[in-house]
Amino acid sequence: MENALLVGLSRQMALRRELDVIANNMANVSTTGFKARSARFSEFVMPVARDDNFLRPDRRLSYVIDQGTPIDPTSGALERTGNPLDAAVKGEGYFVVQTPGGERYTRSGAFEINSRGELVTQQGHRVAGENGPIVLAPGETGIRMSADGTVSTDQGQRGKLRLVRFANPQAIRSEGDNLFSATAPAQPVGPTGQIEPGALERSNVKPILEMSRLLDVQRTYTTIAGLMSKVDELRRTAISRLADQQG
Amino acid sequence: MRALYTAASGMAAQETNVQVISNNIANVRTTGYKRQRVHFQDLLYENFRRAGSATSDQNTQAPAGVFIGSGVKTAATGRVMNQGNVSPTEKEYDVAIKGEGFFKVRLPDGRTAYTRDGGFDLDSQGQVVTKEGYLVEPGIIVPQTAKSVSINNQGTVEATVTGQTAPQALGQFQLSRFVNKVGLESIGDNLYVETPGSGPAIDGTANAEGFGGLQQGYLEDANVNAVTEISSLISAQRAYEMNSKVIVAADQMMQATSQILRG
Repeated sequence: MENALLVGLSRQMALRRELDVIANNMANVSTTGFKARSARFSEFVMPVARDDNFLRPDRRLSYVIDQGTPIDPTSGALERTGNPLDAAVKGEGYFVVQTPGGERYTRSGAFEINSRGELVTQQGHRVAGENGPIVLAPGETGIRMSADGTVSTDQGQRGKLRLVRFANPQAIRSEGDNLFSATAPAQPVGPTGQIEPGALERSNVKPILEMSRLLDVQRTYTTIAGLMSKVDELRRTAISRLADQQG
Repeated sequence: MRALYTAASGMAAQETNVQVISNNIANVRTTGYKRQRVHFQDLLYENFRRAGSATSDQNTQAPAGVFIGSGVKTAATGRVMNQGNVSPTEKEYDVAIKGEGFFKVRLPDGRTAYTRDGGFDLDSQGQVVTKEGYLVEPGIIVPQTAKSVSINNQGTVEATVTGQTAPQALGQFQLSRFVNKVGLESIGDNLYVETPGSGPAIDGTANAEGFGGLQQGYLEDANVNAVTEISSLISAQRAYEMNSKVIVAADQMMQATSQILRG
């Protein structure tokens, strides 16, 4: 009797989750190096006791369950900033950042120099080089990065940015602050790793797509609400008719 | 409902973005102004189902977990400290720095401030001061008898005095630079002060190691590019609108729920 309501409810809960995902994508439409997530659902067949021997066998109930919010690993558009400390990863790869909680990975190359001359992220975490952190002496000027990630000043090379990749692009967890943590070991990108100096990678959220998904979610949700309303009406009518019969 | 607050954080972030862009545009003609840029970061994520968790007893794993983010925050509004255009003014006390370095300015309260704005003047005692009347280090005094003043690219000020053929040296401008100049704090009036983030000032003179040269009769324009700012403004406005649409959608979904059971 309640089945239609429960199936509808499972879909509505999944839709709300999807709305949360869209809202987060839209909120981060101008976040540097942000990767959009989508929502994926699957059918969940209710394992209830049933008997298929009747003339009309029991029908199985299938609910909706959210299976995952896979990350969209495609690159965002490159925006030229002209800032010598900005870098964007071309193609595959992540910058490595040293945080108090261990190594983290980011696509946001908006770096700064701190008062100790170290190359850091906006949060003040040190950016990892191939051979330890990249540190500049106080008197050095003319900082520039080359396409292979080498950081140099007018006094010579100061290190090379470390780039890593993941065999499974989904093997990363969003940690906030534009950082990801790994669920599988990171591998070095190798000589193919290229950066674009003086540019930043914009968020890869596609606003038009998100807006259409938003409309879709909203309409589906309303339709299901209508369906539930109908089921409610049906039960109400049934109860009042049965009550009339008795009278 | 999380989506409401997530979208609200997006709207708040874009509001900050518009504030910074409007400040940049307002200062498009400010001498030595360095434009600001907002950096956004995503907020915490909630894991409803972890990636890599077991989905059966046969060692199958979930390839992607359910991560729901909770919006965006403003991480920093850093200044982009690259060189602005240098344009001629033909005024003898206008000096532009081409390259690294800041002029040192002595504030009335005794502190030292730093500026890229080299639009100087003389006060009643003949001292070289900023437009606010603050002394420019090291306090060069131009004698009343001086006919013309020349400032070379190392910042040495020389005056031709009536009755003398050889120019008279008056002093040399002091410059300072910082390991992290983005960490300087703006106090208005085109002035910056040192912070723990910027590191201590490194003093020196123009055209010396690591410092840029000076150019008399020129001023440094703001490094604001009007076209870039206007296009950022448009995209900020659209992003704001789209976040508001998410709020409307969340609201209508809640309305649909509340109307399922009508009296």
